[in-house]
Amino acid sequence: MAAESSKTTQWLTFMVLTCIAVAFLAPLVWMLSTSIKPESQAASAEMNLLPRPVGETLNYAADNYKSVWNDATVEFPVYLRNTLIVAGLSVVGMTLSSAVVAFGLSRIEWRGRGAVFALVLATMMIPFPVLMAPLYIVFRELGWIGTLRPLWVPAWFGGAFNIFLLRQFFMTIPKELDEAATIDGCSSWRTFASIILPLSRPALAVVALFHFIYVWNDFVGPLIFLTHRDQFTLALGLQLYQSQAGNTPWNLLMAASTMVVAPLVLLFLLAQRTFIHGVATEGIK
Amino acid sequence: MVLGGTGYAAFGPRGSRDPRERNRIVLDYWEKWTRHEGEAMMKVVDAFNASQNRIFVRYAVTSDIGQKSMIAIAGGDPPDVIGLYSFNIPPYAESNAIMALDELAPRYGVSLDNYAKGVRQVMQHKGQWWATVNTAGSVALYYNKALFAEVGLDPERPPRSIEELDDAHRKLVLMREDGELLRAGFLHREPGWWSWLWPYHFGGSIYDPAGDRSTVGSPECVRAMIWMQMYARELGVDRVKKFADGFGNYFTPENPFLTGKVAMIVQGPWIANLIQAFKPDLAYGVAPFPVAAGVANSEPVGLIDTDVLAIPRGAKHPEASMEFIAWTQRQDMTEQLARAHFKPSPLARISEDFLSTHPNKGIAVHYNIFNSSRAFIAPPTRVWQQFKDECDSVVQRLWRLEVEPDAALAALQIRTQGFLDRAADERRRRAVS
Amino acid sequence: MSTSIRRNLHGLLWVSPWLIGAGAFMFLPMAMSLYYSFTDFPMLEPPLWNGLGNYRRMLDDPTFLRVVKNTALYCAVAIPLQTMVAVALAALLNGKVRFSRFFQACIFLPTLVPLIASAMVWMWLFNGELGLVNRLLGRAGITGPSWLIDQNWVMPSLVIMSLWGVGQAVVVYIAALQDVPRQLYEAGRIDGMGPLRQFANVTLPMISPAILFNVVALTINSVQIFAVPFVMFRRPDGTNPAGHFYTHYLYENAFVYGQMGYASAMAWVQLIVVLMLTAVMLVASKRLVHYRRV
Repeated sequence: MAAESSKTTQWLTFMVLTCIAVAFLAPLVWMLSTSIKPESQAASAEMNLLPRPVGETLNYAADNYKSVWNDATVEFPVYLRNTLIVAGLSVVGMTLSSAVVAFGLSRIEWRGRGAVFALVLATMMIPFPVLMAPLYIVFRELGWIGTLRPLWVPAWFGGAFNIFLLRQFFMTIPKELDEAATIDGCSSWRTFASIILPLSRPALAVVALFHFIYVWNDFVGPLIFLTHRDQFTLALGLQLYQSQAGNTPWNLLMAASTMVVAPLVLLFLLAQRTFIHGVATEGIK
Repeated sequence: MVLGGTGYAAFGPRGSRDPRERNRIVLDYWEKWTRHEGEAMMKVVDAFNASQNRIFVRYAVTSDIGQKSMIAIAGGDPPDVIGLYSFNIPPYAESNAIMALDELAPRYGVSLDNYAKGVRQVMQHKGQWWATVNTAGSVALYYNKALFAEVGLDPERPPRSIEELDDAHRKLVLMREDGELLRAGFLHREPGWWSWLWPYHFGGSIYDPAGDRSTVGSPECVRAMIWMQMYARELGVDRVKKFADGFGNYFTPENPFLTGKVAMIVQGPWIANLIQAFKPDLAYGVAPFPVAAGVANSEPVGLIDTDVLAIPRGAKHPEASMEFIAWTQRQDMTEQLARAHFKPSPLARISEDFLSTHPNKGIAVHYNIFNSSRAFIAPPTRVWQQFKDECDSVVQRLWRLEVEPDAALAALQIRTQGFLDRAADERRRRAVS
Repeated sequence: MSTSIRRNLHGLLWVSPWLIGAGAFMFLPMAMSLYYSFTDFPMLEPPLWNGLGNYRRMLDDPTFLRVVKNTALYCAVAIPLQTMVAVALAALLNGKVRFSRFFQACIFLPTLVPLIASAMVWMWLFNGELGLVNRLLGRAGITGPSWLIDQNWVMPSLVIMSLWGVGQAVVVYIAALQDVPRQLYEAGRIDGMGPLRQFANVTLPMISPAILFNVVALTINSVQIFAVPFVMFRRPDGTNPAGHFYTHYLYENAFVYGQMGYASAMAWVQLIVVLMLTAVMLVASKRLVHYRRV
């Protein structure tokens, strides 16, 4: 509704939005607030944002976060490393392979192109549970249960959603560039690598960013495919931390949650425009 | 940021590795215990590692151990020793997930006779020996002596029948003027770990191994559930819901028994450990959980619930695993662990002063249950996990007074019998194929 | 080799990574899953054929019926609610509002949070005695319920949680709203349409493709809901029956009860339901969704 609004409507909208923004941020703020309090205050009836006495805030925070980081059972430093390995390998593979396949579906005229694309789209509807159990068996036969491979190797074969995104993007690049390159004697690979890829940086960034978030947050995959504790990822480690037979106090639990969320928030603040732009484009086309 | 991440990924911490692991067979031992219980077991592991230099055992805390072990074994990447619960043994044994120990164990000096009579039944299933017991427990009634005295009950005289229990409960209930519940005498759902316990104290059972039949619909079970619902009716379901919502979790100082919110609970010996850790001045008493009128009570009735050690199928060094297990089953090691866990020792022979110097004041009660012929174990059937989940679900609804016992239990019996029949049918079909 | 065949092979070569991957990690497992759905398969022993046994069992299984009911109820409530809230928020943010970028960021941020962390934060917020929600309600004089334990409040708490993650859809709708050509609004105003009529007759049809896309994606996701209930509603004395959902029960059958055959049958039923729902939505969209000629 881009029509002109009167001053009062504008103010009203502003007020409403402020309330909504507060409501949306409140859980995260409360999470942070609980994570810097000592256990007794976290569970108290007071609703303070900061612990009392306020001067001790940094000390309490340090205690909590150190306790989580150094926990003997749930080794978050190791999980961070595992998550970074899986994310790194996965993102590189996914971006590259999706770009390759998207290229094949947009820049080369061949029969069957439409059919394959339709197939790619169709697979976006397959719910994970139907793959869950047999994938487990497949990985077992391959001997990959007990390694990190089930989490990143499939990414090297492209993902339907990212292929769709990149294909749409590639279609906006003028064909004349390809033709000029071919006339110059470039193979399609050269065209791909030297012309299309550089032009697609924004789209590739979106794919990489979103896949990184997906891997960072993935829980069900690690739950099923990872057996040894020293292979766990952050998301799984967080669940382990919560489900320990002895109960974990809330302030430590929130500290652990904050630790897992913080890098993504940081990433978001740094790359805000790419995020919003990426989400917007995917929906429109 | 990317560079930092890559650097961390490449050179960052890997899982903790002990330098002594080099040149030894390394065994992965998955165990459920954390905190002080875990530390006690880790001491045993450390002692083993120090006692010889061919094998090194790595202790790994694993939550949901019943599920995770099965997944690892099925995935072809099992650990070398797993610390399961005794009720996991029948499913694991029947699915061929663990190794039979009949031949392996005696070679390392472990034989069935080493163990107390009552304990032997959890180690065996369908004629074979599947696991050894590392700590053993039985379920009894724990009560708060101070609160007993406060309401005029004799703290040295625990309830000896269900009726006395009801009576004590009513005296102990404390309500504020506005009706809010402040204290309960006894709550079935606290802790709620064994929702299917009560029928046994009414002279019945939920499973008949001889005929592979579910007996949850039997009259004794119905009586037990009517009895449970009486508590829900008297206290008021909503009132209890609010009351229970404020309970701390088991392993915290806010445990309702520790804080005096519930004066009597069913628990195993491990709760004494918790009391010692968080509220050592709590005067507690232990007694066998009473039985209903008309049920023979010459010997105590109680559930035997133990922790066992098993060797998964596909373990790479079964001999080394057995050597480690055998070492933990030595009398001195077992008693050390049992004392640290506040539990009885599962062995037939115990040191003379074991009982008298044991930190758990009620240890004698737990022992008597072990040696009682009325002690019972969780139904030894392959489908126990699903059976139990169904029972939990129905008992929850009975507690909330949403269903009537006879109808609900009859339906439950049909359903659970369905599980049993299906498993039996599959067994038959597999045998022929 | 003729050029056209060469070109076809060339194209195939480029898409081969996906074809191989999809074959190995999607179609093969799907075929396996279909096969398992007709067997008894406890994972450690080979599958044993039992025909339609698993499918027939579903009809008699009260737990199955309960998880279907819970999942269906959740979808029926959460999907429309999320869509309406997202569109409303997008509309609010689309006007000339100062700091709209900031508000957008606030609303979008929660979608980055891993579901596990969200689940834990909301478990803490919804805690009956200590949680922020009930404390705030207490200040207003209302005694809040036991959100996560009381059967009647489990579904509302889940739905509220799901609304927290509406940010992604909001951003999509904002972009869609901005694409609506101004002349249509002008024309509408000249015709005497008030803002609400404008919204119904101009805005909604124009953003309907975006709505369709989001609703389809949301449906596929909501039917599969797993991580959040898994963390929030499992307890040592049994899973809360109101919080027991389809995929969780599937997981239990596959990995806890050793009934992988039954789990596979459940998975295929879920797949078919998703396909049918998507088909229905696409068919309905032919009449309801307006595609502009770009």
